[in-house]
Amino acid sequence: MSTHTFTTMGTVVSIRLAHTSDTDPRAHEVVNAIEDAFENYNGQFSLYLDHSEISLIASGELTLAAASAEMRDAYARALEWRTRTHGDFTPHRPDGVLDLNGTIKAEAIAAAADVARAHGFVDFSLNCGGDVLVSGSPESGKWITGIVDPGVNNTMLSAVAHTDGWCAVATSSTTERGEHIWSRPETAHEAIFRQVTVVASDIVTADVWATAIMAGGQRALDLAVATDTLAVLAVTRDGGLVGNENFRALVAR
Amino acid sequence: MRARSAFFAGAGSVAILAVGWQAGLGALSSAIPTSQAVASGTSGTGTSNANSATSGSTAKPSSAPSSAPSASAKPAPAPAPVTPTVADGTYDGAIVNTRYGTVQVQAVIAGGQIVDVIAVKLTDADRKSEAISAQVAPMVHDEVLAAQSAHVANISGGTYTTQGYLQSLQAALDAAGFTG
Repeated sequence: MSTHTFTTMGTVVSIRLAHTSDTDPRAHEVVNAIEDAFENYNGQFSLYLDHSEISLIASGELTLAAASAEMRDAYARALEWRTRTHGDFTPHRPDGVLDLNGTIKAEAIAAAADVARAHGFVDFSLNCGGDVLVSGSPESGKWITGIVDPGVNNTMLSAVAHTDGWCAVATSSTTERGEHIWSRPETAHEAIFRQVTVVASDIVTADVWATAIMAGGQRALDLAVATDTLAVLAVTRDGGLVGNENFRALVAR
Repeated sequence: MRARSAFFAGAGSVAILAVGWQAGLGALSSAIPTSQAVASGTSGTGTSNANSATSGSTAKPSSAPSSAPSASAKPAPAPAPVTPTVADGTYDGAIVNTRYGTVQVQAVIAGGQIVDVIAVKLTDADRKSEAISAQVAPMVHDEVLAAQSAHVANISGGTYTTQGYLQSLQAALDAAGFTG
């Protein structure tokens, strides 16, 4: 198993490649390719870069109609998620700026997994800032992902063993650098969750629902589990837990 | 991902039957007649031709009753006898999950036309247990506490910045070069 990390999108990516030694040149090749993939997404979609395509749209120098196909497609997908989450996830910032942070990180992780597979890797894990996507298995057992306890520093609340169909996990919390979580002032909701973890069969689904449930509370949680096949664990503001049987079944006992 | 359809929330309407039929049965080109339209006499082969020409595969149940009787009143232009391309019988459409349960649409075909559409409510044990697994309820910490913490390969939490990462559990795992 070899481990590689690099900085991108203002956070850190951790890659584990099973059945691979640190000195394997294929490992460095694939890590470089993955890093390039993240940098491409960042270069196009980061609002922190003045001349990224999305920043040019935000400043009005570029219209959406004249934007690249990737930009328009990414926007279209984010709008589909807005509809699917009944607005609890939205790419529209209150100030009117188009912010695709909420989907782009996960889309980049999914693209990185495709890169790894294209390089012939089957057993690996990718963690980008707390969003984890696994493939295959480690040298023994299954990939296991711990879930932080939002109340106690550097402590795990739980851990899930990734079985088939449950390869992606995302956690959204009030302590995160989540500028893309916009509470909708016009909708009454109970902001009752301090942290939400969603396990699903793909990372965009997990990430969007975790975000939506943080923004929309109980109502969004009920919609989420009724809409997609998810395992959910949410921590309430008073430290209580809410979850479903799908999650219980994944706990790494 | 299962395709849960938001527009089934209405329950019991022809819209449900129409979409369930489309999803399950594919390209049968006549519009779904309501049972009133059937009763008003669309059994003629000439009429079914006229319907397929104008309605395509989109169900327009409100127009079918009015168009069918008038079409049968007009002399159809040299209608050829319709050879049914689908054998008579009852065909199962898609199984759709709705808020009110799992519904399957069945279409009854006779003489190459849909003569009836039935919505059957299923009580499939698998689907019920799937719904139960999805439902959220309070949990106690012990239920989710993992015994296999020693084998954790990654940590999921709210997005950390590069600075935040340095003090994180993930960093500790990465530095230790997790070996499983």
